[in-house]
Amino acid sequence: MDTKVSPDQVIDAQQVGRSVPRMEGAAKVTGRAEYIHNLRLPGVLHGKVFRSRIAHGRILSIDTSAARAVAGVHSVVTGEDIRRIIPEPYYGPAFHDQPILALDKVRYVGEPVAAVLAADPHVAEYAAGLITAEYEELPAVFNEVEAATSSVYVHDELKPAITFPDLKHLKGKRNTNVALDYKLRRGDVAAAFASAAHVFEHEFHTQHIMHTPFEPFVALAEPLDDSVTIHTSSQMPAYVRLEIARLLGWPENKVRARTAYLGGGFGAKVYVKIEPLVVALALLARRPVKMSLTMEEQFYVIGKHATTFRIKSAITADGRIAARKCEVFWNGGAYADIGPRVSQKSGFTSTGPYQIECAEIDSAEIYTNLPPAGAFRGFGIPQLVWAYESHTDIIARALKIDPLEFRRRNILHDGQEHPTGTVMRDAEFDEVLVRIAARMGWDQPFDRGTGTKRRGRGIAIGVKASIAPTTSFALVNVSADGSAVLFCNTIDMGQASNTANAQLVAEVLGIAAERVKVTQADTDVTPFDMGTLGSRSMFHMGHAVRLAAEHARTQLEALCAEGGITYSGEQSVAQGFRKKFGMQAGNIFGVGHYTSRYQAADPVTGMSKEVTPFWMIGGAGIELEVDTETGHVTILRMVNVVDAGRAINPRVVETQISGAALMQMGQTMTEEMIFTSAGELTNPSLAYYKIPGIHDIPASIENEAVEAETRNGPFGSKGVGESGTFGVSPAIANAIDDAVGVRLYSLPLTPESIYRAICAARGEPLED
Amino acid sequence: MSVATRTINFTLNGAPVSATIAPHHTLLEVVRDTFGLNGARESCGQGLCGCCTLMVNGQSVSGCLSLAAFADGATVTTVENLAVDGKLSPLQTAFIECGAFQCGFCTSGFLLMATELLASNPKPTEGEIRNHLSGNLCRCATYPEVMRAVQLAAERMA
Amino acid sequence: MNRGNDRLENLLIPFELLEPRTLPEALSMLADDDTAVRPMGGGTALMLMMKAAVFTPRRLVSLRALAPALGGIALDERGALCLGGMATLSSLEHSALVKTHASVITRAMPQLSNVRVRHVATVGGALAHADPHMDLPTILTALDARVQIAGPGGSRELFVDALITGYYETALAGNELITGVAIDAVPGRKAAYIKCTTRAADDWPALGVALSLVCSGGHIETARVVIGAATDRPTRVPAAEAALAGALIEGTTLAAATLDRVRDAVASQVVYTSDAQGSGAYKRQLARVHVVRAITAALQA
Repeated sequence: MDTKVSPDQVIDAQQVGRSVPRMEGAAKVTGRAEYIHNLRLPGVLHGKVFRSRIAHGRILSIDTSAARAVAGVHSVVTGEDIRRIIPEPYYGPAFHDQPILALDKVRYVGEPVAAVLAADPHVAEYAAGLITAEYEELPAVFNEVEAATSSVYVHDELKPAITFPDLKHLKGKRNTNVALDYKLRRGDVAAAFASAAHVFEHEFHTQHIMHTPFEPFVALAEPLDDSVTIHTSSQMPAYVRLEIARLLGWPENKVRARTAYLGGGFGAKVYVKIEPLVVALALLARRPVKMSLTMEEQFYVIGKHATTFRIKSAITADGRIAARKCEVFWNGGAYADIGPRVSQKSGFTSTGPYQIECAEIDSAEIYTNLPPAGAFRGFGIPQLVWAYESHTDIIARALKIDPLEFRRRNILHDGQEHPTGTVMRDAEFDEVLVRIAARMGWDQPFDRGTGTKRRGRGIAIGVKASIAPTTSFALVNVSADGSAVLFCNTIDMGQASNTANAQLVAEVLGIAAERVKVTQADTDVTPFDMGTLGSRSMFHMGHAVRLAAEHARTQLEALCAEGGITYSGEQSVAQGFRKKFGMQAGNIFGVGHYTSRYQAADPVTGMSKEVTPFWMIGGAGIELEVDTETGHVTILRMVNVVDAGRAINPRVVETQISGAALMQMGQTMTEEMIFTSAGELTNPSLAYYKIPGIHDIPASIENEAVEAETRNGPFGSKGVGESGTFGVSPAIANAIDDAVGVRLYSLPLTPESIYRAICAARGEPLED
Repeated sequence: MSVATRTINFTLNGAPVSATIAPHHTLLEVVRDTFGLNGARESCGQGLCGCCTLMVNGQSVSGCLSLAAFADGATVTTVENLAVDGKLSPLQTAFIECGAFQCGFCTSGFLLMATELLASNPKPTEGEIRNHLSGNLCRCATYPEVMRAVQLAAERMA
Repeated sequence: MNRGNDRLENLLIPFELLEPRTLPEALSMLADDDTAVRPMGGGTALMLMMKAAVFTPRRLVSLRALAPALGGIALDERGALCLGGMATLSSLEHSALVKTHASVITRAMPQLSNVRVRHVATVGGALAHADPHMDLPTILTALDARVQIAGPGGSRELFVDALITGYYETALAGNELITGVAIDAVPGRKAAYIKCTTRAADDWPALGVALSLVCSGGHIETARVVIGAATDRPTRVPAAEAALAGALIEGTTLAAATLDRVRDAVASQVVYTSDAQGSGAYKRQLARVHVVRAITAALQA
């Protein structure tokens, strides 16, 4: 809160649509911002983990004696020890499949098997290195397509959690690695293909990716008399509380989860990750326990699904997409985490943002013996857009139709029905395409380069349905001096949600945003929210905050009216309190909650009239240069255009678009978790897993949010954290094709893969 | 396990301090855990991301790769020293104005590196800024905003 | 570096940390026969190895206190550029002498590693570590640099290509130290270095190409062509050097036939390693391309 802004300075000025500087800006530039990473408590023990070195095996024995013998070691804990306090120590939002520490079996290289506690983290680390385990090795399966039909099973029996009705039918199922099988069946697909003028079919691949938040997973559990406090770098404190309470068999109010600022999340820190282990260790030790994973260890916690996407389209003689078949295999790793939700929610839009009368989607979450995959900025959409927008471009080029024109001919418009059966509303697809084209001068001549430096340009557009139905609660507490505090569980992990939410409160109360304080999430005081993920918060929490502020304002107006005062912001409130209570003391509480509408998909057709409360739309335009002698790509220009509804904070919106697009650029060009044939990760560090640095950024980046309004959104807004990712990967591949006439089907687009494709196209494949 | 300890004396953010350390302790650990200065943070652990940047004798170093023992007799400064009497430095102000951070975890390192750059090169070219900051990573990818912030601060300091 | 997952960042096993004040004292603290005793210059590489538990020291001998004596950059009486073993990469980067007498180093430096590493990493450390992905040894090989080595029996001198014998291997005994590097003044020498990355720009090189051309009267008299990073150690390509010797300089390039011979030589005479940065076949192609680009860059220098 900025106390330099006086109480009456901005009354009635518009708070929504103003680029309010981040509330926590000064704290972040002075090094004082609070992160759980920094938390120290007296008497704390540090936990370090011993991990499996094999991908699949039965545990025969675990030898912890050498670790226990190390001076300074408090205790060593295995999965069996955890059963003493948690008899069923399996967790997970979709399936209760993940043991807190391995029990009976290990299912991927890097799985936690035992933990060491010591007051000195170096001692714990050292001792963990002395633990050994014996296994009976089992055959393992790593590829998602192979695993779909393999006779090697990662789990003996599927154990869906009760949360999701569409997983119920998998309960107790054996002899399968399929953890979710979303299907869409719309129209007579076979007939459409039979009568098509052209049929195109391709297979695309994406690689394993890790979020690498710079504040690695960290949690500190503090056991109290009959309760536990969990300080955690989490995007979902309410879920942490719920899941820990379930595991312990305790009422929710005995579990407190709190966060501070997050040093990045990007989807890695949703649901529970290391919290169950930290809580179990703390309860066993009866001491506070902190676990701070290293960057290296993060790679064994969660990642982004590798995918195989087989896509087939029927095209009419006039260049329209008559039918599309999508078969998507999601490599979920050894534990489901939220993977099944990724494959279903993103599965809805596998056909892309196009008018397609006949569609067939099979989107399957597959268990493999690799580290788990879950939510990652875009929630599966970037993998899909990569495939369908590469495919779309190939079709346009093959039919000699301009790629922009082909897209505009087929793009969905408001009022038209998406293949899921949901009618498009406030979805500015065409405008996004038009703005990308305008900025790129798509109809202008283009310098195609000469000699060994060839230039090309490409575009792509994608769509995402929000996660629904979900619920947010908010509470606005107005003090007697008229200043307001917002209590909400939306986690500010860099997206400036605290600032945006303060703007909403301020807008409603008619005060300056700088005068509103937003608390950090603490489940003892902040009300329930589903979590900060999937770009849902601006919409869902935005509504809850708006309603809470409106509720407060109604009461404030009544209070003032009672005292014969006209409500006009903070000073009038102070007068109102003085008149009513004889002193300037007291509170007004405004509460609000919001649940989005959703209609479950029909179990047979997979269709629904309402799959999402709002649509996210993002497109990219790329100009680049390819060095034909080396395959090196230089991105000269990146244009990112999204439909973000009405921007609550335009500068923050722009930074979100830019950051999302550049993050996706890294995943397009360099990032890849590389496994050996035994499932061992070869590059779990920033030395070998290369994320973009400042030299990798395109010389020119333009970001635009089109003029738009989400009529059912708070103040016309909607989420924007992910939209910038959608179009980037295929736009780059499309531009490479435009430059040098080669098509790439797998990410990342390494210089070698491009050079090899150029050689192959010349008929002179690079000989090894 | 007993480890021989030693006492080091150094100047931290202008004040003389001493600390008892073991040979394996990094300067980052000492600055954070002994002196509670949390602006420098360990992230990649390999000196690549720059989150742990500290200034030792006026030069930027990776705190996670520096043995604390070598700080004996040195002058160490941290991001906490950039603001004077609560007044933000021109770079700090420019970072806020340009939105040159999101999660903020890497920000201390970028600020110290940019401060070091402008101290020796008050009017850096875009290429010189990129070169000097190429050892600092931002997973939120606010690089364009960082570039603008450094240029803005340079203009204002001119 | 660390492919395992069970012993992350283990700095704990107690070690002795010594800080000798003089070279003889330092030499007396080293051991010829104990790989757990190592000298430490800037220490960045050793710290990484210790954190990854690939190196567990018993004793570290810090050379920090020798920096005043061994950290200088100067010309000797014969005009050779002398870099102290403890001279930091930063001091090379900003040295006017280096810029005048070995500008290839000055030009290369901003792309090598990062500022913080360059502030502490030393010339001696970069050579003694013999990590093939370091750029400086490749450059120094192209400059035919002489490495001065002190040991218990006195001092000796080796050319860089005799010092670095293999993948992380040198001819140094455990009780020897690199005290300096000398680069002879060679009239008419032009040099260039190209660092080629295949992942992020701040990555280690997938390939380094360094070359020096001694030019006189419009033609190249002699040349040194060195391939680094894609090989176990900086590797000279004699056939390429032979192809360049005597070549007529045409502006900033050479006759197409000469360039073809150079390209063929680096392609056929060097074994390129396959790793996550690229296949050997691809790196061979990179070398073919970049050796020609390096020739142009050298002639423009």
